[in-house]
Amino acid sequence: MYRYVIKRLLFLIPTILGVTLIIYAVMSITPGDPGRAMLGTSALQADVDAYNAALGYNLPFPIKYFNYVKAMVIDQDFGFSYLTKQPVFDEIWPRFLETLKLAFLGVFIAASVGIPFGIYAAVKQYSLWDTVPSLVAFFMAAFPSFVLGLLFLYFFSLKLNLLPSYGIGSFEHYIMPALAISIPPAAQNMRFTKSSMLEAIRQDYVRTARAKGAAERTVVWKHALRNALLPVVTQIGLSLGVLIAGAVVAEKIFSIPGIGSLIVDRIAYKDEPVIIAGTILISICFTLVMLLVDIIYAFVDPRIRAKYSNTKG
Amino acid sequence: MNKKRLLSLLLMFLMLVSVLAGCGQTTEPSEEPGGTETPAVNPDEEILTIRKTASLQSTDWEATTNTFDMQIMWVQVFESLYTIDEAAGGYQNQLAKEVAISDDGLTYTVTLQDASFQNGDPLKASDVVFSYKRAMENSRFNYVTSMIKSVEATDDKTVVFTLDYPYSAISHTFWSIKISSEREVTEQGEAFGTVPHTAATGPYIITEYDVASGLKLKANENYWKGVPNIKNVEYIVISDDAAAVIAFENDELEYLPDAPLSEWESLVAASGENNSLTKGNNIRFMAINYLSPTNNNILGNLKVREAIFYAINKDNINAAAASGYGAPAYEYMPHEYVATSPSFEDGGFKIYDYDPEKAKSMLKEAGFTDAQIAEGIDVGTLMTYGAATAEKAKATQVIQANLAEVGLKCEIYVAEAAQVTPKLYAQDYDMCIFGDSGNYDFNNIRQQVHSESTGMYVVKYADEKSPLDYKRLEELVALGVSTADVDARLDYYTELWSMVMDSATILPLYHNPVGIVWSSKLDPGGLSPTYYHIYNFKWVE
Repeated sequence: MYRYVIKRLLFLIPTILGVTLIIYAVMSITPGDPGRAMLGTSALQADVDAYNAALGYNLPFPIKYFNYVKAMVIDQDFGFSYLTKQPVFDEIWPRFLETLKLAFLGVFIAASVGIPFGIYAAVKQYSLWDTVPSLVAFFMAAFPSFVLGLLFLYFFSLKLNLLPSYGIGSFEHYIMPALAISIPPAAQNMRFTKSSMLEAIRQDYVRTARAKGAAERTVVWKHALRNALLPVVTQIGLSLGVLIAGAVVAEKIFSIPGIGSLIVDRIAYKDEPVIIAGTILISICFTLVMLLVDIIYAFVDPRIRAKYSNTKG
Repeated sequence: MNKKRLLSLLLMFLMLVSVLAGCGQTTEPSEEPGGTETPAVNPDEEILTIRKTASLQSTDWEATTNTFDMQIMWVQVFESLYTIDEAAGGYQNQLAKEVAISDDGLTYTVTLQDASFQNGDPLKASDVVFSYKRAMENSRFNYVTSMIKSVEATDDKTVVFTLDYPYSAISHTFWSIKISSEREVTEQGEAFGTVPHTAATGPYIITEYDVASGLKLKANENYWKGVPNIKNVEYIVISDDAAAVIAFENDELEYLPDAPLSEWESLVAASGENNSLTKGNNIRFMAINYLSPTNNNILGNLKVREAIFYAINKDNINAAAASGYGAPAYEYMPHEYVATSPSFEDGGFKIYDYDPEKAKSMLKEAGFTDAQIAEGIDVGTLMTYGAATAEKAKATQVIQANLAEVGLKCEIYVAEAAQVTPKLYAQDYDMCIFGDSGNYDFNNIRQQVHSESTGMYVVKYADEKSPLDYKRLEELVALGVSTADVDARLDYYTELWSMVMDSATILPLYHNPVGIVWSSKLDPGGLSPTYYHIYNFKWVE
């Protein structure tokens, strides 16, 4: 099992290198330069060129890429923002934590709501407990986060005056953004859990358990659910990754200083160090989440555990 | 659980939601978000909340590149020798107490006010010299410093500026360059701009600056003009317009500069009489690159360019891009704000009022047949920047439709400024929409039309194929700043602008309106379209 974890951790290296390479390549082919963006329209081209040269912006792509990776790996240095002159890590880390907080809260809500409703809908198939939540989930899955965000702002902030409309000062500030980003994945979780449960309930081992006289509660929770949860765990892991990268909408609407909104803002200034470092951080986080999902998967699924135990892994 | 019980539970939940929603207040909410009652607040502790669309780039005034940041750093925190009077036009002394000009117009002797920095140091002439030399080394300020030959301190309170040539637009330089404490800037070194500081003389001190979470200011209790009324200011970053409107309606914001026009009606309803919509100083222009090789240099044809300009409906553009709150533009700068700006009402230059029939006849005069016009004549790509705000992008769509009506077809290219502006300066475009002004002297046009311009040289007039006498054009630019006589300058600039308009290469499209709304708790004093002064604000008793 340890070998499996180490193997997956080592897989992070080519992933990060691949991500940096792709982002660097994309940024290199887009027009514009930080010198002009920073010095403005009235700056001499010679000064703009000098500014870019000082940043190392004009270096050939392979050298620039190599220098960046070297600084990142050896010195743990992501460089300085072209725009604010601040160390990139100092800029992105607090924002990343905000996004992470929001994403975890969103995933928690999405799982807490989606999974129980999905189980109940499967167990009570064709009843109101199935049709009503399924119908609601159908609509909610299609609802964009920004529409939900604005609706929440209108009702809970403006009409009911219950929650603050912006910022990150207290727990109250996170309620609306977390709800806005969690409802679509909650609906997906519900539908995913339901279909997974329905599939499990129809399996022979469930029928056997019932035939042996096991209580319905035991059949559902012990036999069906444990097997049905395997794909749901993957779905939750994926939704966490999606929320980390996609929380930008909630960040914008609720004025949360997260990493997504930072990256979007800096694209206009071609602030490459921030864009690249932010994207790398998101990709590392996504990869770690996927690793965590795989480890949980291995713990939940005895077949995977057995496979790695047999190979002394 | 039976079905009836489930249904009744569901209905109860819906009723509860409806009742809660119905209980909401629509006006003057008296409670803080979270449901607690607002305690009586001491005005000295009350915080003025102002919206910002993005976090502050830097606490160094030189490093602020957008209007929102400049509104803070250029006015609330830093000060300059002159201040600008946007509402009435012109400049007034600020840190300059007196300014004496030599007869040849080459030497300006400035006597300084008895002001002090926020760190307690007295303002000295050496600080002014330091600030100007620092700005002169910054390429970004070339457009306002290139005429300065030297700047020297003759004593603690006197600074002497020597110019290379007489330059009547020097007032704009005296406003643009902010004065900072030599001692503190030097001590902070490279950290200056990344942390709060007290190196300015302005009425507000930065107390918290974090690019992630925001910006807080407090009143400078030792401000040389007197203590400000508003003691605490917090800038709230809200990038989404709809969210900003809700925050204002919810009393979480007290002042919205540059309020979103798409939400203007809601804001007016929420603010009662506390709003203002003024004609902004920023004008959007369309430029045509007459040297573009597209379609066998079709844009090199004056008749085609004129046809394009006559095809454009500025009212429709205003409706789309400025929600109808702007105004069609005909001038390079609003003559109300800039005394030396020629007014279209005086008839001194050609304007291109919307006339699709005339546009079609121009195309025929250019040699195009009815069949070609019916098929659509390719005039290339209309480019603009500012994809995020979409305002200029909307204008491109209207123009594309306008051109199609008269038999011209174009593609649209919209991207961020960092991508588009280099193409404009490299003359790598067919047609473009760009913004300019925010300046209060007509000499600003130099950056657009003069071949020595190091700035926004959008149309390259200095060329053997030039559609105008560019030598005369450049001579007029030089003559315009050679005298301080307003009437003489007006004559030069009228001739200059007339040449540009006759060439059908630059067309003013619309004045971008400036909307401001504020809370009933606040008295913002005299309003300025761009650079508000919190120093003039006060809480309503």
